[in-house]
This record gives sequence, C-alpha cells and structure tokens, in this order.
Amino acid sequence: MAEVRAAKKNNTEITEQDEKIVKRSLKDYRSEVKPTWCPGCGDFGVLSALQRSLAERNLNPKDVVIVSGIGCSGRLPEFVNAYGLHVVHGRALPAAQGVKAANPELTVIAVGGDGDGFAIGGGHVPHAVRRNQDITYIVMDNQVYGLTKGQPSPSTPSGMEALQRSISMPKMAPYEGVLEGQLNFLAMVLVYGCSFVARTFSSQASDMARLIGEGLDHNGFSFIHAMSPCPTFYNTYDPWKESFVPLPDGWDISDRIKAIDLAMEEVTDGVFHSGLFFQDQYRTYTEKLQDVYDKAYGNEQATIDMLMNQYS
Amino acid sequence: MDSLDLTIRIAGENGEGVLTVGDVLAEALARSGLYIYTFKNLPAEIKGGASMTQVRVQDTPVRSPGDALDILMVWNQENYDIHVGEVKPSGVVIFDPDECKPDENLEVLQIAVPLQDITKTIIKTMKSKNVLAFGVLTACLGIPCESAEQMVAESRWGRRKEFLESNINALKQAYIYVAENDIDLGLRVKATREVGDSQLIMTGNEALCMGALAAGCRYYAGYPITPASDVMETLAKAMPKVGGVLMQTEDEIAAITAVIGASFTGAKVMTATAGPGLSLMVEALGLATMEEIPIVVVDVQRGGPSTGMPTKTEQSDLNLAIYGAHGEAPRIVIAATNTEDCFYTAVKAFNLAEKYQTPVILLSDQHLSQRAQVMARPDLKQIEIVDRKYPDSNDVTAAQQFNRYEMTEDHISPMPVPGRHRQHYVATGLEHDEHAHIDYSPEAHIRMTEKRSLKIESAVNEPGFVQRYGAEDAQLGLIGWGSSEGPILEALDRTRAKGYKVAALIFKMIYPLPEKEARNFIDTIPMVSVVELNASGQFANYLRGRLSASLEQFNIITGLPFKAGDIEDYIEGVLQYG
Repeated sequence: MAEVRAAKKNNTEITEQDEKIVKRSLKDYRSEVKPTWCPGCGDFGVLSALQRSLAERNLNPKDVVIVSGIGCSGRLPEFVNAYGLHVVHGRALPAAQGVKAANPELTVIAVGGDGDGFAIGGGHVPHAVRRNQDITYIVMDNQVYGLTKGQPSPSTPSGMEALQRSISMPKMAPYEGVLEGQLNFLAMVLVYGCSFVARTFSSQASDMARLIGEGLDHNGFSFIHAMSPCPTFYNTYDPWKESFVPLPDGWDISDRIKAIDLAMEEVTDGVFHSGLFFQDQYRTYTEKLQDVYDKAYGNEQATIDMLMNQYS
Repeated sequence: MDSLDLTIRIAGENGEGVLTVGDVLAEALARSGLYIYTFKNLPAEIKGGASMTQVRVQDTPVRSPGDALDILMVWNQENYDIHVGEVKPSGVVIFDPDECKPDENLEVLQIAVPLQDITKTIIKTMKSKNVLAFGVLTACLGIPCESAEQMVAESRWGRRKEFLESNINALKQAYIYVAENDIDLGLRVKATREVGDSQLIMTGNEALCMGALAAGCRYYAGYPITPASDVMETLAKAMPKVGGVLMQTEDEIAAITAVIGASFTGAKVMTATAGPGLSLMVEALGLATMEEIPIVVVDVQRGGPSTGMPTKTEQSDLNLAIYGAHGEAPRIVIAATNTEDCFYTAVKAFNLAEKYQTPVILLSDQHLSQRAQVMARPDLKQIEIVDRKYPDSNDVTAAQQFNRYEMTEDHISPMPVPGRHRQHYVATGLEHDEHAHIDYSPEAHIRMTEKRSLKIESAVNEPGFVQRYGAEDAQLGLIGWGSSEGPILEALDRTRAKGYKVAALIFKMIYPLPEKEARNFIDTIPMVSVVELNASGQFANYLRGRLSASLEQFNIITGLPFKAGDIEDYIEGVLQYG
C-alpha cells in the first residue's frame, strides 16, 4: 500500500539513482543538521514520527516540501532530508498552499507551534481548511512560546494553573495568571469544517507516526494536533502522561458533532483523547480546479493572443 | 486642417450609469480609428456621490487626460456646480433642465436636453437613459445616426439581443431631439484610419494582466483592494484559460506568502495590491529577498496614508516600495508609464524577478490602472521571456553537496525546485551560508548581504528603463517617473512650440537607480525639477540622497492626475519668473 502510494506521489520523474534506492529508511530523511532543540523537547518525537511516516511511504525527498513559520518547531524542516520552506512568523499555511497550488504532485506538509499557528497565524487556519488542499498540517502544541523564552500562548490554560509549572510564565502574568481564555484548537478546526482531525502525543511515538501517516494518505487538508511538551519553559510531561487517553471504544470518525462535543468536554474533564477524531472525504481544491479548467478551456488552453482578442 | 482634440466629460450621481456612457463612447471612438484616453473620478462608495468620466479623443495618440472641457454633460445640479467651471470658453454644457438650473451669467454655450423626461415619457425604460445620453453626445459630435447605431450594437448594450431594440430606440430619440432642436456644434468627428484587430483598447490593469500572462505568470494570489481588484478579476477569468491558478486569499499577507510558496516550486507568480496591502506585505518582501525567490508585486497606488483616498490617484508609495523593509532588503522597483507600457513593463517585471531571483515591485497608480487607452496589439513573438537559472537537469550532485546560494560572478545562483531537481534544500529567512544552512557568523552575513544587494545592482544596465526627451540645450529639465510621463511630454511639446527649451528624463526603474543617466541630466541642465504626484517629493528626496544634487520639485496632491496644462504652467512660470 505504502509503495503504491509512493509511486503515485512520485509520478514526476524518477532518476536512475533514485531507483537504486529500493526502500528508504528513517535515516534517509535525516538531514546533516543536528536539531537545535533542548534535550527532552517533545519536537524530537514529532520529527522522528514524521521521518518514519515518510519512510513508510518511501517518498522521494525531492517531491516532499515541509513548510514552517517561526518558533522552536518551525526549525523542523532543517532537520529533514527534503525540500523545506521556512517562512515568516505565522504564515506557514499560506506558503504551503502556494506550493501545493503550483505543483499538486508534491507532498506538502506544514508544521509549526501553537503560537505560530493559532496566535499570529490563526487567521489563516480556517481558510486553509476551506480550500481543502491536500496538505498535512502538524501543530506542535506545547502551550507556551519556547523560542522567546516562555510567554503564555493561545493554548496556555487560563488563570494561575499554568504558572505553577513554569519558571518563565510568572514574568508575563505575575498577578492573576493568564487573563485570556484557552483556545480549543481541535474544536476550532472541527467547526471550520476540516476533513481530517487527529490528536497525538509526542511521547507515544508509534501512534504519532501512524496518525501523521494517515494524515499524509488523506486526500485533503489534514490537521494533526501533536501535543509536544516544552521541558524548559512549561514542563507538562507528567500531567499529560496521565491525561492522555484513547478515543472511546467504537468511536465513529464520521460524526463531526460528536467530535466537537468530545473536544469541548475534554476541557472540563481534564483529558486529551489520542487518535483520529474525524475524517471525511470532500473534494479538494485541486479536484475542483479541474472542473474550472474543463469549463475555462476544455481540451486546449487559450493562447495569449486569443485572450487579447476581447480587447480589440 | 486642425487636428482633432476634444475632451468630453459626463458627470452624474455615482451608480447612475455615467461611467458606462464614458466607457462605451471611448470604445466606440477607438474602434472607429481614433485615439482615446479616459479618466474617471469617482467616490469610494458604491452608490451616491458625484461621479464623472472623461474621454479625450484625438487623431494621434493621447498622452494626458485633457485640460479644459470641450463638452460637459451633467445629469444633475450637484455635478453642474462641480464641473461647470472647467469648461473652455469655446466649450459646451449639456444639462438636464429638469435636474439643474443653469448659471445664466456663464459665458459658454449651454444646451438643455431633458434626459430624464425623454427617458420617462418617450422611451419608458429608465435603464436606457445612458443610451440616450450616449446618443446626444454622438449626435453632437456629428457622428451619423447609422454609425452610432452600429456602435451601440457592438457595445455592451448590444450584447443582450432582447434589450437591443429598446436601446436603439433610445439612441434614435436622441438624434430626433437633437435634430428637432437644431443642436449643431459644428463637429464632424470621423474615423481617420482602419484599425481592425491591430489595436487593443485596454485599461492599465488589463494590459498589465495580459503582459503578466504573456510573461508566463501562472499563479496569482491576491486580496480585493481598490484600485487593484480588477487585476484579480481580469485574471480570474483569464488565468484558468491558460491552465494557471488564481487564489483569492484571506489577506495580503497570505497573498504574498502564497506566491512565495508557488515560486519556490518554479512557477512564475504575481500578486497585486494598493498601498494598505503593500504595507502588510513588507515583512514577506524581505523574506523573498532573503530566500532569493522571484516574485512580482504590483502596487496600484492610491491616495494615502491609511485608508486615504481609495479611488484617487497619487505617486506616494515610492518610499514604501524602495525602503519598506526591516534590515537590508533590496528589491527591484519599476514603474509603468501608460497603458501600453503596463503590458511591456509587466513582462519585464517577470523577466527581472526571474533573472535576478528577487522580488520586483511594479508601481502603477489608480489613474493609470483604470483609464483606457489605445495600444498596438503586441507581437508576442517579439517578446523576450527570461527564465530563472536552474541547476542543469543532468546535474547529479547530491543535495548534501549542492550549494543553493553558490557564490558566482554575477551573484546569481542556480535554484533547484521541488519535483524537478534532486538538490533539495531548505530556504530560510534566517541568515544562511551557501548551502542554505543557518549561519549567523559575521562572514556569512557580510557575504550574503553583499550577494543579495550586488546581484540586483546590475539591473540598471537593463535597456529601456530610463529615457531622455526634449531639447539638448535645455534651460530646464524635468524628471518624472511612471505615469507622469504622458503629461510631462505633452507639456514639453506645448512649451517647445512657445520657444522654451525644456528636456525631460523619465524613469521606469526606480531601484536600483540608473545613476549615470540621472547625473548626466542634472549636471548638464541649469535647473532640474522633479515632477510627481505626492507632497514631500519622494523621488526628489531619493535622488538628492543618492546624488547629493540640488533639485527643484513640483508636486500636486489633489488626488487627480497631472494635466499637461499643470506642467505647462509650471514650466512657463519657472522660465519666465525664475
């Protein structure tokens, strides 16, 4: 299955040397750049899960583009042996959409953190969902701004709670803790109408690799909420190990309303469900574009001279 | 025989249809072989407010919107009051007697035509009022009714056959009224040449779109903004016909980052916006400079700052275009001068972006973008198309050994793209080394800053971006950029006829600055003045900073384009009174 998909994804050109590599392994997706993350960072888990899922699909690095914005997790493309596009803060999704629109044959993965994705870049998420391009978006959520040394993020729990676990956060919220409410990313993207929504935890490596892989296989916009603790500024390893639970038995991935309910209830229940919350198949932007082309020119594209005729 | 030169203005309530009258009149005159130049001035609101459209018609190419009016048609009192002062002593005012009370002291010919009443009582379809108005104008211009009928049939009014009959009826009523009331301005406007499909009638934005597509643009992302929206709308129709992608994004930041993403894969890309949008794009412009990714950003300038005057014209985004960046983020800035030039400058914008692997800002403005002019149909076979430097497709260098930012003689490095080249790399907005690896060392920053800046310096040697006109031994030199070219050149001709020696230097490339040409012009002419539509003299200050030159300046900030007469008066004032 993985090979079939890989061949499909790679139907551009396969050079002689590429063909010599019959099967790529995880290390073929490791770049020569050593990750710059702090020891124990959850992002290591996400990186290797991603590399594993790329290896399982035997994707040619020349056909893979990983797009990121700014933040600790935004460095991830540097560490993967593939094309990478590291853009400005909060704009990984628009850049990824441009990549995919210009060459739909490519495997496009957008990565970033909770701040990049849902604070500065939050306005782009619903629109990426609306376009439903075949892009996998992995949000590494550590509920804190790591690269700027520990300010609260849109997913930091409200009030005093987070402060007790952070050496840095009291600097920003010394009196009453975080005044703003906590965003529920999963519920948000479900309400936006996302066609693939999953949650996973960086400490559960094989689960994460599987879900990222399913996101890559999904034909449409897939959202992977990858909980990935920051041991330096907001160490949530211990509580998250406790609060991660599998989805209820017999979970129906086609029921969006139930998925939203569950995502909302998590907050009061103090748990995180791990697994595929929702999946459905909608027509992708690329598929709809094909209809546009059918109408706009049919069998043969217009020449510029033909376009100019309307102005004579 | 005197050459034909008429300036006709139609003014009424915004949303009433005056703009359509102007458009159809301009197209009809252009199709009959005359040269036209339109000028619209309207409020930013959809309905309501005074709105006007103007058509200048000549039998030679038109270069500016026209000064005083030969014919003014007004549909109501408000517009009568606004525009009547601009009518030439020899001009005519056509007014609706039920809607306005004419000024009896006015010493110009004033003709009452009850447009509203004829429409209501005789034609009986209010929608045909603009056809009636059109007919009154063509009748006054001395165009035979049969010719005007054909004009209507070939226009947008003839497109829907079910309305054609009532539209032709409205037209005939105009001719009947004009004949019955013995209205004759003595004009006999007629075609002077056969045009066929050898010419095109386009607005600046339309010409720019066609140029972009001819250059190979196949991905566009943009966000609606006046006066750049019709770039997106024109491409929304045209882009799919050539297999490209047009994406209306959620904001301008998404637009520019999406085009950067698309160009990363090798596509030729463009976004278009106006000042507020360009302000939002500034950060990502630096990203494109840093990652050396070719993009074309069109800025259709309007009155600023802030929301400013969305439907008015100004040349006041120059500072933002040149300097809008944090850090050292050079990019190429060019400007188009007229409708035809919008086509060719768009082609050049892509060629420059591709060749130099850098963002190119193409400056247009509201007036240039929305006016219609006649241009010769471009011969696409004659157009040079430049592609970026790619790695050799037989190059088997592994990604690990390949230097995306290789130091080369011309500072331009081969750019591999995903899907095509095996030399994958990570483009990053962080400072990096030749291999695209993050590197904050002083050496890397110095090397790469120089690379990004030096590679585009040689763009000043690209032909056709600066042009000198007028007297060799000029007493006065005028410097202009972009769309002020037309009125400057017309003023040059008019003042030459009066015996003044004036020269002009017109820049289409702003950054990098064609310094040699600028210096030569300034050093050899006793007095040089920079003419531009902004308050502070943004280009003048840029030139002063670069050349340490002493320059005069002439600025207008009415939100309206230069008239040739404005510049003519300035030249005469300076040369007579110093």
